Amino acid sequence: MKLFKIAAAAATGLALLGGTALADDKPVVGLIMKSLANEFFQNMMVGAEAHQEKRGDYELKAVGMQNETDFESQINAVENFITQGVDAIVVAPADSRAMVRPLKKAMEAGIVVVNFDVSLDEDAKKQQGVELAFVGPDNRGGAKLAGDALGKKLGEGGKVVIIEGNPGADNATQRRLGFEDSVAEYKLNLLDSRTAHWETEEANQVFATMLTAHPDIQGVMAANDSMAIGVVKALESAGRTDIEVVGFDNIPAVGPMIEDGRMLATVDQFGTDMAANAIDLALEVVSSGEQLEGWVKTPIELVTAN
Amino acid sequence: MTTDTLQEAAPPVSKFSVRTVLHNAGIGLALLALILFFSVFTEHFLTPNNITNILTQITINLILAVGMTFVILIGGIDLSVGSVMAFAAVVAGKAITLPGFGPAEAIALAIVAATLTGVLCGFLNGAISAYWALPSFIITLGMLNIARGAALQVSEAQTIYSFPFAFEEFGSAMIYGVPVVFLVALVLVFIAWFVLNFTVFGRLIYGIGNNEEAVRLAGHSVSRYKIAAFTICGLTAGIAAIVYMARLNISSPIAGIGFELNAIAAVIIGGTSLSGGRGSVIGTLLGAFIIGVLANGLILIGLSDFMRQMITGVVIIVAVILDYYRAKYAST
Amino acid sequence: MAARLAAAPAAAPETPFLSVLGLKKYFGGVKALDGVSFSLEEGEVHALVGENGAGKSTLIKILSGVFPYDSGEISLAGDAYRPSSPHNAKGHGIQVVHQEFNLLDHLTIAENISIEDMPTGRFGLLDRKEMNRRARQALDAIGLTDINVTQPVSSLGIAHRQLVEIARALQSKSRILILDEPTATLTERETKRLFDIVGGIKADGVTVVFVSHHLDEVFAICDRVTVFRNGKTIATDLISEMTPEGVVQRMVGRKLAEGLEDQETHATGETALRVENLLTQANPGETGVSLDLKAGEIVGIAGLVGAGRTEILRGIFGIDPVRAGTIHRNGKEVRFNGPKDAIAAGIGFVTEDRKDEGLILDMPIAANMSLASLKSVSKSGLLQLASETKRAREGGAKLKLKYGKTSDAVSSLSGGNQQKVVLAKWLARGPQVLLLDEPTRGVDVGAKAEIYAILKDLAREGVALLVVSSEMPELMTLADRILVLAEHRIQGELGRADFSEENILKLAYGQTPEAAGDTQ
Repeated sequence: MKLFKIAAAAATGLALLGGTALADDKPVVGLIMKSLANEFFQNMMVGAEAHQEKRGDYELKAVGMQNETDFESQINAVENFITQGVDAIVVAPADSRAMVRPLKKAMEAGIVVVNFDVSLDEDAKKQQGVELAFVGPDNRGGAKLAGDALGKKLGEGGKVVIIEGNPGADNATQRRLGFEDSVAEYKLNLLDSRTAHWETEEANQVFATMLTAHPDIQGVMAANDSMAIGVVKALESAGRTDIEVVGFDNIPAVGPMIEDGRMLATVDQFGTDMAANAIDLALEVVSSGEQLEGWVKTPIELVTAN
Repeated sequence: MTTDTLQEAAPPVSKFSVRTVLHNAGIGLALLALILFFSVFTEHFLTPNNITNILTQITINLILAVGMTFVILIGGIDLSVGSVMAFAAVVAGKAITLPGFGPAEAIALAIVAATLTGVLCGFLNGAISAYWALPSFIITLGMLNIARGAALQVSEAQTIYSFPFAFEEFGSAMIYGVPVVFLVALVLVFIAWFVLNFTVFGRLIYGIGNNEEAVRLAGHSVSRYKIAAFTICGLTAGIAAIVYMARLNISSPIAGIGFELNAIAAVIIGGTSLSGGRGSVIGTLLGAFIIGVLANGLILIGLSDFMRQMITGVVIIVAVILDYYRAKYAST
Repeated sequence: MAARLAAAPAAAPETPFLSVLGLKKYFGGVKALDGVSFSLEEGEVHALVGENGAGKSTLIKILSGVFPYDSGEISLAGDAYRPSSPHNAKGHGIQVVHQEFNLLDHLTIAENISIEDMPTGRFGLLDRKEMNRRARQALDAIGLTDINVTQPVSSLGIAHRQLVEIARALQSKSRILILDEPTATLTERETKRLFDIVGGIKADGVTVVFVSHHLDEVFAICDRVTVFRNGKTIATDLISEMTPEGVVQRMVGRKLAEGLEDQETHATGETALRVENLLTQANPGETGVSLDLKAGEIVGIAGLVGAGRTEILRGIFGIDPVRAGTIHRNGKEVRFNGPKDAIAAGIGFVTEDRKDEGLILDMPIAANMSLASLKSVSKSGLLQLASETKRAREGGAKLKLKYGKTSDAVSSLSGGNQQKVVLAKWLARGPQVLLLDEPTRGVDVGAKAEIYAILKDLAREGVALLVVSSEMPELMTLADRILVLAEHRIQGELGRADFSEENILKLAYGQTPEAAGDTQ
C-alpha cells in the first residue's frame, strides 16, 4: 500500500503556515486547509508541499485551522489572500454555508477559486449567485463501495450496525447516507446507528455495548478507520471472529487488519493527492481561463485483502 | 447523627469518614437504582459480558478521576488530563515502536515514557499555579493546548500502531471476567484512599482544601502539597495513557478529547466539593460507575445519541444539587 | 458653592441643624447603640471620639442610611429624619468619606466624581464634556487645581484619592460631610492640606463630622467634641473649654484600677526573643519596632485598630515580608522565610481570626490539634491515628476542653472551646515563645478566665508570651508590662505599677502620660 490517510475527528492544535516564497512572476496559490491535527489533512498538506516542490512553477501559501469547527480562521484566511492578491484560492471549506460569501468576494476580486474536499452548499451558492465547481471525492459513493462489499459478503437480511462520525459534519452525513444506500440495496437489517465522534476509544465503548444489546450483529460499517479499529478491538475482547467490519480512509493502522481478515474492507480516497490535484486544476484555470463546471470527482477505491 | 454510636477510640478522621460514608451510601443508592432500572428494562444489562464491558469502559475515566480527586480536594482543577493522556500515549507510542528493542524492553520503555510525560506535565501545572498563585483553571487550560499540540507535533498527527503482542495481551486480559486494566484502576483507588486517609500528606491535602491559610500558618509548605497533587494527577494521566494503548493497540494524538470533563464529572458526582476540602476517592469510584452505567444502559435501552447526551447532563446537575442539600444537612 | 451657601442660610443657634436623641440600635441581642444623643450646628466641625467599638461607626452608618435604627429620634433641619438607604441619605445632603475608599481605580477622576449622577446628553449618551466640567469645578472648589480630571484614579497617591472622595461628596450638594478617620493614611503635609480644605468647606457653611483617633488633630480643627463609650454618648464639649486629658478621662469613664486582682509578676529568665527596629510592609513610616521578651514573661501590646499590632506578630512569625530590622532568638539572629522557620525556632502563633487562620473548621478536633505537630503523630508519613486521638484527649483534658469526641468537627464547638483547640495545637509543639493575637475574642467570660489561667501557667513554665489585645482589662490582668503602639511606633511602655486604662489610652491616642514614668 502506498500513502494513507485518515479522515478523523476534531482537535485543537496547530495552525500551520506553510509554503515557500519563490520568484515573483510565478502564480501564487493560496491553500486553505481544515484542521491539521487531523491525520487526513496533515497528509494532504504534506502532499501539496511535495507537489509544489515537484512542479516548482507556482508559489504555495497554505493555512490550516485550530480545529474542525473554527471556520472563522478560514474566512480570515480568504480575506488575507484577497489582500495579498493571490492568483488562486484552493479551499477545503470547514462550513459549507459560511464560506460561500467570502469566496464570492474573492471571485469578484478576480481570483480563481477551487473548492475541494467538501462541497459548498448548493442552496447557499444559489442564494449568493455564485457558480463554483467542486473537486472532490464522493463520500457517499465511497461509503456505498464499502457498504456494498459488506452487503455482498453477508447477503440479504444480514444484520448490521453503523458507527457514525460527528453529527452534523458533512462527510459524516454523506458516509452514513452511503452506508444506508447499501443497506437498502442489499436488503440488510440495520439494527442500530450511533455516533462515536470519529474516535477509537469511544467507538470501542459504543460498539461493545451495541454488541451486548444485539449479540447477533453480523456486520459493522464504521465511518472512518479510527472507529473501525475500536470496533475490531471490541470484537477481540468479546472473542468474536464472525463479524465483518468495513471502514473508510485506509489509514496505515488498518493495513494489517485487512490483510489478516479482522477487517473486510476500507475505502481509499487518495487524500494525499487531493489538494495537489485541486491545485493542478486551479493553475490550469489560471493559465487557460477555462472555468471548471459541476462536480469534478476525484478517484476513490475499495481496499480489500486481495 | 449516627456518630453517636461510634466509639471514642475510633480514628479521628472517622467523623469525616462517617459523613463521607453516609454520602457515599447516597451515591451508592443512586447507582443501585440505576442498575435496578436498567436490569428491569433491558435484557442484557446484568449479563456477565455486559458487566465486563462496563468495567472496561469506566477504567480510563476512573484512573483519570483518581488523580483529579487530589487536585479538586485542594480546591484546584485540571483541565489538561485528556490532552496530557494523548501526549503521554504518543510519546510512549514512539518509544514502544523504536527499533532494536525486544518486546519486554519496549513495553518497559513505553511505561516509563508515559508516566514520565504525565508526571512532567502535572508538575508544571502545579509548580506554575503554585509559584505565581495563579488559578489552576487557566494554567491547565494552557497545558491542555500545549499537550495536545505536543502530541500532534511528536506524532506528526499520525496514529501510531503495531505494538508488541504482550502489551495487547495485558490490555485485554481478564481474571474471572474482570478486566486486568480495571483491577489496575481499583488498585489506584485503594492506594489513593489509603494515602488520603492515613498519611500526613493526605491529611494536609484535605487541610489545604478547607483552609489553606491555617495549614500554612501551622508551618507546612502549602505549595509543595499543591504541586504534589497536580503531579499525581499528571501521573494518573500517564497511567491512563498506558491503559489506552494496551486496550486499543494504537496511540492517537487526538485521543482523550473531553476526557477531563468526564473525570471532573465523576469526582463531583462522587461528592467531592468543587471548592475543595471535602470528598473521597471512594465517592469518585462510585461517580465513575454512575457515568459508565448510564452510558452503557442508555445505549442498551435504545435511546438516541442526542437523548443520551441530554440525560447524562441532567444526571450531573442533579448530582450536584443533591450534594448541595447533603452539605447543608451535614453542617447542621 | 455659592449656591449652596445661599440655599442654606445659617440656622438660629437654639435649633440645631441635626439632632439625635436617645438613639438605640441592636444587632440581634447585642447592643450597638445604647442611647446616643448629640447635635450638630450648621457650619461647625464636630469631632466624634471613643474607643474601638464605642459606637461611632454604627452611628455614622445609621446617619448615612446603611442601617435603620431601633428607637430614638433624629431630626434634620427641623424634620424627622429616617434614611431608608444610602441613596436616600445622600438626597438629604449627608455624605460620608470612608476610611477605605470607594473609588473605581481604573476609571478617570471625572468619572469617579460623577459616578452617582452621570450627566447625559441627547439619546441618553454620556456627556463627557459636562462630566469633566463638573469634575473640574468640584476639584477647584477644594483647591485641587493642579490635578487633571481625565487621568485614572489609579495614578493618584492615597492622599489625593482621599481628596477626590471629598470632592465627590461635596459635589453632590452636601450639607453634612462625615469624614471617617480621614488622616489614618496621610502624611503630616497631606493632613495639613486636608485641614485647610476642611476649613474652606466649613466657611462655605457645610457641617463637618470628624472621626479621629488623633486627639491633637481633633483639638487643631474641631469646634466641639462628643465622646462615646459603650454605645452611649458621654458628653459634648466645646474644644475651647476642653483638654486632651479631659477627653481621655471621658473615654475611659471611671478611673479603672479594679480588675488587677492578680498582681503576680512572673519570674523572668533569659531573653527569649529580641526584635530590633522591625519594619513591616504595612508600616508606612521609617521607625521600626524594638522589643525584648524574656522567658516566663507576658508582654502585652495595646493600641488602636490600625496601629500595627497584628503586623508585628505577623512580621515576627515570618508571614509578612519584613522591610528592615532583625530578630534574635535566644541571642542568635534568625531570619524566618515563613511560618515554618519560626515554628522550627520554637515559636507559636495563636492568630486573631480562628475561623480564617487558626482552624480547619470542618475537620476533627484531633486533626486540628495535631496540625502543627504532625511529625509527632506519624511514622514515616503514616498517621498514627490512635496516638493522635490519645494526644488530643490529653490536650483536651489539660485545657478543660468541653467536647463530645475528638473526631467531632471543630465547628461543633463553642467559640471559647474552639480557641482552646487553637491553643492546644500550639501547645502540642511545646513552644518556647507564644505569640497571641486577641486570644479571647468572641469567648465567653468563663472560658476567658480559663484561658487566662492557661496562659499564666505557661508563663510559669517558662514560656515567653507576647499578647496583642484590644481589651485593656485583659492586658492588665495578663501582662507583666504593656507596650502601647500608635501609628506603628511604640508610643510608650507601662510597667505594672502604671497600668491604667487612662494611661494606655493616652499613649494610644498619641499623648504622653505624665504618670507613666518609665516611658521609653
